[in-house]
Amino acid sequence: MTAPDSSTSPAAGGAPEAGGGALEAAGRPAPLIEVRGLRYRYPGAGTEALAGLHLVVSAGEFVAVVGANGSGKSTLARLLGGLEKPASAARAVACGHDLLDDEGRMAARRDVGVLFQNPENQLVAECVEDDVAFGLENLGWTPQAMRVRVDAMLARFGLAELRRREPHLLSGGQKQRAALAGVLAIPRRVLVLDEPTAMLDPAGRAEVLQAALELRAEGLAIVYVTQEMDEVVAADRAIALEAGAVVYEGGVPGLFRDGSLVRRLGLGLPAAGELALELAARGWSISPLPLTTGDLLAALGEKR
Amino acid sequence: MSAVEPETRAHGSAPVHGMSLACRDVGFSYQEAQTPIAALREVSFELAAGRSLALLGASGSGKSTLLQVVRGLDLPETGEVLLDGAVAGAAGYDGLQKQVGLVFQTPELQLFASSAREDVAFGPSRLGWSEDEVAAAVDEALDLVDLPPDRFGERHPYALSGGEQRRLALAGVLAMRPRLLLLDEPFVSLDPATRRELARILARLRAAGVTLVLATHDVDLAWALCDELLLLDHGRVAAGGAWDLGDAGRDLLAASRLREPFLVELWRRLGRDPREAPRTYAEAAEALA
Repeated sequence: MTAPDSSTSPAAGGAPEAGGGALEAAGRPAPLIEVRGLRYRYPGAGTEALAGLHLVVSAGEFVAVVGANGSGKSTLARLLGGLEKPASAARAVACGHDLLDDEGRMAARRDVGVLFQNPENQLVAECVEDDVAFGLENLGWTPQAMRVRVDAMLARFGLAELRRREPHLLSGGQKQRAALAGVLAIPRRVLVLDEPTAMLDPAGRAEVLQAALELRAEGLAIVYVTQEMDEVVAADRAIALEAGAVVYEGGVPGLFRDGSLVRRLGLGLPAAGELALELAARGWSISPLPLTTGDLLAALGEKR
Repeated sequence: MSAVEPETRAHGSAPVHGMSLACRDVGFSYQEAQTPIAALREVSFELAAGRSLALLGASGSGKSTLLQVVRGLDLPETGEVLLDGAVAGAAGYDGLQKQVGLVFQTPELQLFASSAREDVAFGPSRLGWSEDEVAAAVDEALDLVDLPPDRFGERHPYALSGGEQRRLALAGVLAMRPRLLLLDEPFVSLDPATRRELARILARLRAAGVTLVLATHDVDLAWALCDELLLLDHGRVAAGGAWDLGDAGRDLLAASRLREPFLVELWRRLGRDPREAPRTYAEAAEALA
């Protein structure tokens, strides 16, 4: 079941799609991420984790990536960040660096930041400010430049007062903010977030999502992997993965449409949409399907 | 997240005589660089047999510690944990403690055996049961988590999907036939369909009579599954007992970095009494249609 506005189909495999040429012709900014026919297989695995995936993301775009457990989302995040070598691809470029090339991947690691689900695995230093400085130190920044940059990051993510705190004493949300500050201390053009809110309380979730939206406004390309359907609503576009390939690409309303595609993929609807489907089953259908509480309330108000 | 439809009769499971739980002034602290850090302070609450409790609170509020103390993995420094009214040291307490099951966060990381059946058998085989009793408990537990033993029993745990592994790990605890089941963030890292499936399994256990304590950040599932709540704030009880989701309840949740459940917010914004908000989408749709 491919959505009508999908520009990519699972059957396409590694073949480049017409959509790519159209993008460049339309005079939009050159994409920061452009992968076509991306393939990857874990050593010893029977099936491919990524089986001919296409994804194009431009500066200032926020693209949500959804899919059931095991559909390839985390593998995609690692490949986009230059952390793994693709098995093959017709094209795999991040910020102008060729991900198929060893040097290209090293360069991509500087321009593409990756934030993972569990901040514990990303915090390595003995205090927050050292952690935020860690990447800059490895890149050989001068102590003075480093101090200015680290101070800016600590202030931005509300960590200034926690700068001397040992990372393991932070709350979950604080840890994830510290990890994000560390990722972004190195000036990035693309930020890939892999289920960044999974371990967080609702307020921590809102903080991380808000930070990602602000970074989009500053011109970063955002690739946001999530299992939280309420978060998908904030994205400009969404792609859905199944068995390592894109089975939907397009607007968020099209992804959720009548709920059938997301159900089939092992996903779901935002809460407002789930309730709207229950109402529809009782003969009270709301179109288009509401995806936020506000939309649902407006629709309920009109019905009265 | 989808709410959970009620199931009146447990599927494939005999009624369970749930265990009552009470904590009286329970205190516990960690040593952190030679400094004790209080994780639980004067925690008191009661949970009647067969009731389900949502254990809520911000990250670091003490939820996991409380589960460990109730399970007996950590001893309270002050106060006491009562199981079916018995305190530690009372006759039969050890036996009661063995009827408390704890499902850790991401329990699938602890799967180790080369078949699903063998993994699930590990716990009950150490309870002194006969081989036949263990085999029956393993089959029953696999059925309870929707991994039928004839199809999944001989599968290698690592060959299962993430959601199946989570359910297999739950089966390993259920095979010991807990009368009180403690779950630490059971929905983390699962896709929505797998969460719905796990929620259905928990609803089934609840219907069978098992006493449940569910530590979670997912307030919507907590609202769907749990009769009562216990809200921890820096190791202290900030609220306990029946859900009170009037304005004060909402403010308390917000102060703990939580939000009110979707259906409660909806009821409030519709001008209805949030304290009478439905627990499931189906109930909500019935009330609205």
